[in-house]
Amino acid sequence: MTEVAATGAAQTRPRPAPVAVWDPLVRIVHWGVAAAILANATFIEDESLAHEVIGYTAVGLVIVRLLWGLVGTPHARFSAFPPNPVAAVRHLAGHLSGRHRRYLSHNPAGALMAYNLWATILGMGITGYMMTTPAYFGIEWVEELHEGLFAWLMISVVLHLGGVILDSLVTRVPLVAAMIHGKKPVEQSERTR
Amino acid sequence: MNTMARMLNRRRAVLLAAVIVLQSLTAMFFVADVVADLAHDGALEDLHMGLEALASIALVGGILFLMIELRRVLSRMSMLETATQAARGEMAEVIDGFFADWVLTPSERDVALLMLKGIENDEIARLRGTASGTVRAQCAAIFRKAGVEGRPQLFSVFMEELLAGDGAPLK
Repeated sequence: MTEVAATGAAQTRPRPAPVAVWDPLVRIVHWGVAAAILANATFIEDESLAHEVIGYTAVGLVIVRLLWGLVGTPHARFSAFPPNPVAAVRHLAGHLSGRHRRYLSHNPAGALMAYNLWATILGMGITGYMMTTPAYFGIEWVEELHEGLFAWLMISVVLHLGGVILDSLVTRVPLVAAMIHGKKPVEQSERTR
Repeated sequence: MNTMARMLNRRRAVLLAAVIVLQSLTAMFFVADVVADLAHDGALEDLHMGLEALASIALVGGILFLMIELRRVLSRMSMLETATQAARGEMAEVIDGFFADWVLTPSERDVALLMLKGIENDEIARLRGTASGTVRAQCAAIFRKAGVEGRPQLFSVFMEELLAGDGAPLK
């Protein structure tokens, strides 16, 4: 959660040189999970084999990302964005009072969202698997939990997109582009590591 | 750093990451298969089951190894990047130092910098929105202040500084 710059003073300066923050593995996993969620939520039949395969693929991608959080590059590691609800609230409150902090890794609110999305996807994978086993097939609470998690996932996706758009606008760091080419424009003097 | 080498490195990292992701998904399939077999009727002592379990463990180990390899490639790339930027920053300081010594005016500094970037006089005039006669006059002033006769000699001032700077004497 490397904090690099503050306030609106940065807005008048010329665009700083980009720093590579998201490595290719982070980006592949991100867009892979996004595509899997989009496919399973929209055009894939709920009880089809494709639905299962895509769901397990999303789970696999999340597991890869979790391993990468332990052994990966500095900005991808959990230590760069520890889950900290207090910091997340402070970060959001900062936006309201015009203090737009920039981060090389996830900002504290974005970090919470990442952990939330991963947990939700894993939960959907587990309940989805349970629905295919003889022991839990047709059991109502399992199905309801799977659907409840799906609803929560959709809410989370909307919040995630909203957060990305808001943060990009106020900090002038184009986050969507950063997740495509891996770079965030941040002043050289403010790079910490 | 050489842009070609950088591009190759970057492509290598992307390829490695893609292989890791694909292998991981495959590994997950095998591990799930082994776990399901064990849960049903399989016993590890069974040769087939034992081999399958060992293969899965080897696969997962291989993926972890590839992940560490990918991290190494990426950190080497970012170290090279940092070193290049540092060198670039130092060069800029050297150039600024000379310009200050020669007491160039701000517009002469701009023109001199553009000259060092290998831009022709006409193009400099166009970029700065001045007449090409003005640029010629500014060049003459720069050469006079630097005590050189023309562009090639101006370059050589900085080349000498660079070659002397890395500690290897030129014979």
